Amino acid sequence: MNTGNIYGKFNKILCLFLFSSFLILASSGSASAQTVIVVPRSEPKPAEKPQTPKTPENHKPPTYQTKINTVSEKSIAVSEKVNISVCVRAGEVKVNGWNRNEIRAFVSRGSSVGFSVLEKGKTDKKPVWVKVLGYDPAKESESRREECISGKFIELDVPFGATVNIESRESKTTIDSVAKASVKLLGGDIFLSNIPNGVEARTYRGNVTVKNSGGSMTLDTTNGNIVAYDVSSDEIGDAFHSKTNSGEITLQQIQYRETKVNSNTGSINFVGEILNGGQYYFGSSNGLVTLVVPENTSAKIVAIYGYGSFESENPLKNLKRDENTGLKSLTGTLGGGEALLNFKTVRGKITIKKAD
Amino acid sequence: MTEKCFDEGTIQAFLDGELGLELVDRISHHIALCDSCALAVAEAEDQMEFAFSALDTEFNTLVPTERLWTKINLSIETEAKNKSIWHSLYALLTNPSSLAFASLVIVFGLFVGLYGLKNTADNTMLAKTAPKPKLENITAISNSPVKNPPSASTANDKISQPPSPVLMAKQQNNAEDFRARKVVYVETERSPIKPDSNYETDIVYATENLAAEESYIKTISTLEKTVNNRKDEVLNPSARFAFEKDLAVTDNTIENLKKEVRKNPKNEAARVLLRNSYQNKIDLLNSLAEKTELMASLN
Repeated sequence: MNTGNIYGKFNKILCLFLFSSFLILASSGSASAQTVIVVPRSEPKPAEKPQTPKTPENHKPPTYQTKINTVSEKSIAVSEKVNISVCVRAGEVKVNGWNRNEIRAFVSRGSSVGFSVLEKGKTDKKPVWVKVLGYDPAKESESRREECISGKFIELDVPFGATVNIESRESKTTIDSVAKASVKLLGGDIFLSNIPNGVEARTYRGNVTVKNSGGSMTLDTTNGNIVAYDVSSDEIGDAFHSKTNSGEITLQQIQYRETKVNSNTGSINFVGEILNGGQYYFGSSNGLVTLVVPENTSAKIVAIYGYGSFESENPLKNLKRDENTGLKSLTGTLGGGEALLNFKTVRGKITIKKAD
Repeated sequence: MTEKCFDEGTIQAFLDGELGLELVDRISHHIALCDSCALAVAEAEDQMEFAFSALDTEFNTLVPTERLWTKINLSIETEAKNKSIWHSLYALLTNPSSLAFASLVIVFGLFVGLYGLKNTADNTMLAKTAPKPKLENITAISNSPVKNPPSASTANDKISQPPSPVLMAKQQNNAEDFRARKVVYVETERSPIKPDSNYETDIVYATENLAAEESYIKTISTLEKTVNNRKDEVLNPSARFAFEKDLAVTDNTIENLKKEVRKNPKNEAARVLLRNSYQNKIDLLNSLAEKTELMASLN
């Protein structure tokens, strides 16, 4: 056999080998994005029969239905500045402050009530963090655990210095004369009064009313109105924030240097004094914004009122209007311009009126 | 001896067979009669024998003759003429070096193709999440009267607008065209330029607006995904109705403000209100998300 023939055949075999290897490389590159992991089959294990649990003797199933003549009452001694957490499934809730270092819980036509002490004071060993439960842990077993209280009337008497935290599905909640309050409802109205150290109230369907209170304040409702009157800051850094999506916000005698009020489609009414050095923001997409302020108000005004309008009974100095670019805005000064009033509305009407 | 003796060269030529027949006959007769010439011939033969034995390997190499070389070349030419195109192609493909080069090209092409497909998929996803108004904003801004950059007095200065990638590729491929296009660019740069243009400010405004709007849009899209999955479970019919109504009002406000911003990108009031409206929508969606969390915690 000729060496030339051998060389030629070897050449052909080599070329075929290289070509096939590159084809394999190309196909493996495209298949790498779709790797298929092949799991080896394993024989299925025979299904185990579930074991039926043994029912304990004297076992009674839990019941959550309210009974007409059921009244539950319980009390516990606590520290003066106790922190109280309550979960309410349904019912009208009333929290009152009193001058005893004791929590008294009363539930009418509903579940039983009990307490769980989460933390005690280091010095006096009195409870400083208490959770109010919908059952009595001392009397009822763990299988009947229902942490949220439900009933027609739920009443709590707490020390004046207490901080109350309530979460509820549907309830009308009233809190009076406690140090601090935080309320979150899925639905229902909130009434808060005489709370000096701060308020946080949030309901997704209902009204929020706050009076004679102080400290940092956050009032929030999605579909409902907000009313706040005679509220003031406790410390310099306290802020007042209120927000509703489609309700009205009415504020009277608000004494906060940082005030932010926002209503998406509702109107805003502010009656009161503008504090010197304060920053006030009023925003409403489509609603009216009405301020009734004293004649000697001293504030700088920055207003963007889009397709709406701006009126002021108090004369503005250094007035600059921009109404040529489609969306209107203006800047001006009332008096000495010591505070800042910031207005934003797309289609609303901004009105500044003189207080009588 | 009657005849004169021959010289050494003639004797060597006699031994090499390079003389004519007559002279060979004469030398043969002379050698038979002349002892000195016979001795000289013997010595010359000894020398030749020694030389041939020493150079035997050199002389025995097979060196083709001129005729053989001519025959080989002729046959190669004939074969080359009679070769078909497929034969040539096959020869090219079977060439190891050309095959290696082709394989490199194939592998490179595969990588480029896969990378390009991946980029196309990413761009498609971005196009789906990013709303059209973002592109319209870009169009609006680019269509607005853009002034030339303030400093472009020399030919080597930067071009007012960067050339498109396609244009640049064409420029690189064709040197002559590149030079021609460069001349065109230089000529446009020589147009009069106002010193107090707001070109850079416009670009900064546009970039900031787009960045801010994009972050709002991203947040809203994330919240909407969460909310849309849960709103049927969380909201009763009346609450759902109120929610959808508020959402529709907010969306309508956003659309109107977007149009205003597109009309006049420099309108600060429009931008502020648009951001406000985005924030309102975020708050609305957030409230539903928080409601979901509260329901979960109460359960």
